[in-house]
Amino acid sequence: MKTCEIIGLKKSFGGNHVLRGIDMHLSAGEVVVLMGANGAGKSTLVKVLCGFHGHDAGTMHLDGVAYLPTDAANAISHGVVTVHQSIDDGVIPDLDVATNLMLNRLTEPGAGVLVRDGALRRAAQKVADNMGLTMDVRTKVADLSVADRQMIAIARAMAYEPKVLILDEPTSSLSASEADRLFSLVDRLRGQGVAILYISHRMSDIRRIADRIVCMRDGEISGMFEQSPLDYDGAVTAMLGHSMTDVDIGVQDGGQPILEIDTLALSRGSAPVSFSARDGEIIAITGLLGSGKSELAEIIFGLQRPKAGQMRIAGRAYAPQNAAQAVAAGVFMSFKDRSTNAVIPDFDIANNMTLPFLRLFSRATVLKGRSQRQAAQDMIRRLGIVCQSDDDGIGTLSGGNQQKVMIGRWLLKGCRVLLLDEPFQGVDIGARRDIGAHIRETAKGRATLVFVAELDEALEIADRIIVLNEGTIAGQHQNRNVDMEALIAQVSGTSGAQPRVNA
Amino acid sequence: MTRETLLTFAIRFGFLILLFCMVIYFSLSANGFASPRSAAFILQSVAITGILALGVTCTLVVDGFDLSIGSVATSALMLSAYAMVILEMSAVTAVLLCLLMGAIVGLINGLLIVKFKVPDLLATLGMMFLLIGLQRIPTQGNSIATGMKLPDGSAAEGAFSAAFLWLGRHRFDLFVEKLVPVPVVIFLITAVVIWVFLELTRHGRLMYAIGSNERAAALVGTNVNRYKIAAYMISGVTASIGGILLAARLGRGDIASGNNLLLDSVAAALIGFAVLGAARANAFGTAIGALFVGILLQGLTMMNAPYYTQDFVKGAVLVLALVFTFYLSAKRSAGGKT
Amino acid sequence: MLRRQAMKLMGSVALLAGYGSVALADMPAPLDNPGDVKIALVRYLSTGDFFQSYLSGVETQAETIGMDLRVFDSRQDAALQADMVDQAIALGVDGIIIQHGLTESMKDAAQRAVDAGIKVVAFDVNVENDAIPQIEQSDYLLGKLALEQALKDNGNAFTAGYVYVPGIAPLDRRNVAWEEVKDANPDITEAAVFGTLDNPIANSIANQARSVMQANPTISVVFAPYDEFAKGVKIAVDEAGMADDVDIYSADVSTADISAMREPGSAWVATVATNPAVVGEVSVRALALLLTGENPGASVVVPPTLITQDFLNEQDIKNMDDLGAQMPQFQHADVAVADWMPLPTR
Repeated sequence: MKTCEIIGLKKSFGGNHVLRGIDMHLSAGEVVVLMGANGAGKSTLVKVLCGFHGHDAGTMHLDGVAYLPTDAANAISHGVVTVHQSIDDGVIPDLDVATNLMLNRLTEPGAGVLVRDGALRRAAQKVADNMGLTMDVRTKVADLSVADRQMIAIARAMAYEPKVLILDEPTSSLSASEADRLFSLVDRLRGQGVAILYISHRMSDIRRIADRIVCMRDGEISGMFEQSPLDYDGAVTAMLGHSMTDVDIGVQDGGQPILEIDTLALSRGSAPVSFSARDGEIIAITGLLGSGKSELAEIIFGLQRPKAGQMRIAGRAYAPQNAAQAVAAGVFMSFKDRSTNAVIPDFDIANNMTLPFLRLFSRATVLKGRSQRQAAQDMIRRLGIVCQSDDDGIGTLSGGNQQKVMIGRWLLKGCRVLLLDEPFQGVDIGARRDIGAHIRETAKGRATLVFVAELDEALEIADRIIVLNEGTIAGQHQNRNVDMEALIAQVSGTSGAQPRVNA
Repeated sequence: MTRETLLTFAIRFGFLILLFCMVIYFSLSANGFASPRSAAFILQSVAITGILALGVTCTLVVDGFDLSIGSVATSALMLSAYAMVILEMSAVTAVLLCLLMGAIVGLINGLLIVKFKVPDLLATLGMMFLLIGLQRIPTQGNSIATGMKLPDGSAAEGAFSAAFLWLGRHRFDLFVEKLVPVPVVIFLITAVVIWVFLELTRHGRLMYAIGSNERAAALVGTNVNRYKIAAYMISGVTASIGGILLAARLGRGDIASGNNLLLDSVAAALIGFAVLGAARANAFGTAIGALFVGILLQGLTMMNAPYYTQDFVKGAVLVLALVFTFYLSAKRSAGGKT
Repeated sequence: MLRRQAMKLMGSVALLAGYGSVALADMPAPLDNPGDVKIALVRYLSTGDFFQSYLSGVETQAETIGMDLRVFDSRQDAALQADMVDQAIALGVDGIIIQHGLTESMKDAAQRAVDAGIKVVAFDVNVENDAIPQIEQSDYLLGKLALEQALKDNGNAFTAGYVYVPGIAPLDRRNVAWEEVKDANPDITEAAVFGTLDNPIANSIANQARSVMQANPTISVVFAPYDEFAKGVKIAVDEAGMADDVDIYSADVSTADISAMREPGSAWVATVATNPAVVGEVSVRALALLLTGENPGASVVVPPTLITQDFLNEQDIKNMDDLGAQMPQFQHADVAVADWMPLPTR
């Protein structure tokens, strides 16, 4: 029985085709896991389903009836309920559990003006029992653990008696044991006959929960897996893709080691990570969400402290306490999610680009506007940034060009270690090639670490690929005739515990 | 002109044109408006709020706010009077004491916001009440003047020194004898200094970056906390300069909450958003904004308009400026020149 | 129980020791045992020199008689002030002084106090109650005296500037005097009316007065019937270099006002004032009379005093203490007194 059926769904924003014809269905009592890398279009699909966006073409049906939600509230009234990734969107932290569980009752028309606490609490207790929640309903939600809050958010969603429940990366901030509790709740809901769409790319979640896996890539369904046992490696391949690209790179072995990572523990209890990055070498660090990629980047840039182990730069101990110290030590980092982490929306191109090095462009603290612009124009030319002039507002640029500005920012001055976190995020293929080529051209004199999830991107830019899984190194590959099967197995964690070096 | 360029023109120069028209109108309709003396009066009447507004501009630049400036100014007023009249200190000591007080208040504001994570409005609101109360404690709520009775029964012997009063009362010759008062000169100097600091130095540029995207600024290695604290300290010091000039003009330590000073200077800074279509806090705009309010009030007073119409007009100008900033500028394409 | 009695006894002993010098024994009941008489001062306005001084007057007179004074301060919250009257009733006070407030909010509260058998006097607020004497510093007379001096100095034909903010009760009452004088002297030209209560008032008034003086250079007399106004006008006149051409007449006085009036060449030539401390003392004395069953009269007016710049200079008066010493009518008002009533020592 198909609870929800989607046929030929398309959605674009301006010229950007985000969904290019999605066909899929959800059945009662089944958990479908939707996998997809950043930018694959999962979140747009969810937003269309929950009524936040309209769609351009295609149809959606619920129990055989056409489903066309006008807004989020309308979607809920049709029985499509979403629990979003950010938990605190789903609960009101300052109120107690009972009120949170019953909140939708309070907003219903016809609800009494006065809140009868006793009745409310009894009704809430019933809901909680139903969901297998054990906490006291009088507890304030803010005092609960993240997992409990997540459960409350789901329980609140269940109060609407949904036909379709969408869970958007529900375990992203949960520990393993907390996740277990969530999974048993999901099992219970599956038993109650709810059709569940579960968005995640954590392999451990997927193994535990999935009845079926749907993979998305570039706005299309790139794979569907339903035969038991599920083909997890196939799913990762479908999600990340590894159609060998036509970029031809001359792989460098690199010179002297610059950055040495010595038995670094990325998270409590994870096996130590050791490797060294050499002069002129570009290393792609890849891995799924939760593999320790972001932790590694943040530790090197001084935003997190390692749980154990040390780092050295050119043989000297390096333990930055904050970003400023990292920059001072010649470690530069371009962050992912540029709009929150990098772009200064009020500034023009030149000022965005020169921001980290204003000291270089000033005399006695007074800025030398001309040399700022000179440097910016130079970088605009080198990276092929498409703009009218260096005083264009950053917001007038396309995503790819904005990203070039953000990368260009860190190429203005030579550095020892360059960290690029998802440098190709939200960037079209042309800009991606430009950025990649420029990073390779300038690689001499520094060690470059590129943190990417997509294997294509790693293969396009790196001399060496290091695969992280569960906070430790699962494999290393020189970027020559890479054994893709082994690589994907390491990414998805199905290769066995032994890290392999494929030189 | 196309619609687009017309809109851009209106955003950039609309407020300056309005200012110009106003000057023409008052010159024609108010007797004695168009004269060097009148210009000096206008500048004098906006000098103190203008100086405060320049300080609050610095906090607005880092996406903060300082509600305590009015009470910092009146605290400086009381402190300078207390120092000279009761403690019989010299003018220089009194001035330094006030500047130090302003810097310390700014430092505390900054630490509350940065270290203790108190939201800026709440931290500075608390500081405002604290100072309004604190400035009255040493004199049990009395104003300070020479000859006042002290708690021990004796009379205060000290007096405002001539050097101190000079700050508020002396006028420099410019074309006309005794034309430009000292506070106006200090206002202009402060405006230029703050403008240079915000627009031309890398520290100012980083403060704008913090105000626009604090996280991004931090991730390029900017010490965000230090700059935020610095912004509040600048605000505190400029507010205390305003208070010193107020004391020098009044010649006594009047108790006052300073709330009108706060509101007028915030209005000037917000009107400044609209000047030249900046759509953000800037020193030039703030100075023009203060001037705008000053010209309007001077003209209305000369035309015998009652006091309540002045508040009304002030409010109308502010609303208009905010529309300029938030509606028209938002219509224009994203991003701007820096 | 015993312990509390003992404390009370000790308290009275202490009081007796403190005020042994005044003739306590002769006061009529209930003031024959004044330490047991509780009175409350319920204030609406409290910030500013005037109100500070008024409070000190209330305190000294209450202390001299030996009564137990509680001060309730509502800080311009009319509703709170009414609640405070109820608090005072609950506290079991014998008398209440209501200082300022709004008729609407205080009328009922005052009636409740009277109903509870409490003696009440009101200063500068009309609570529309026959049982409650009104203490007044006559604002009308303040204005009148200042303007009479202006007429004496300048004749009855001059161009005047007037500082006025309508809707403020004392200023409205002073305005009555101005209107009368204007009507009686048709040759007085009112060239400009201005005013603001923007804080700091003197600074805001100075800014306005600068513009007014610029627009109306013929003004020779400014009537500024509130000392903050006069201060502001004086600053503007000094800045405009017109101190010799303009005379300022005002109301109220303070130490700072005295020094401003005595500056060489000051334009501020006269002010008329009631000593707020005296008004405070009179308030307490009127209440004391009421408590002993005497009637101070429905309206107790504290007469104002004219203070001229010349007088201040002649007597070399530097502050309020000097003023009191040189001008006995300013230091003490012979109002609401009785033979048995101890007065504060000077």
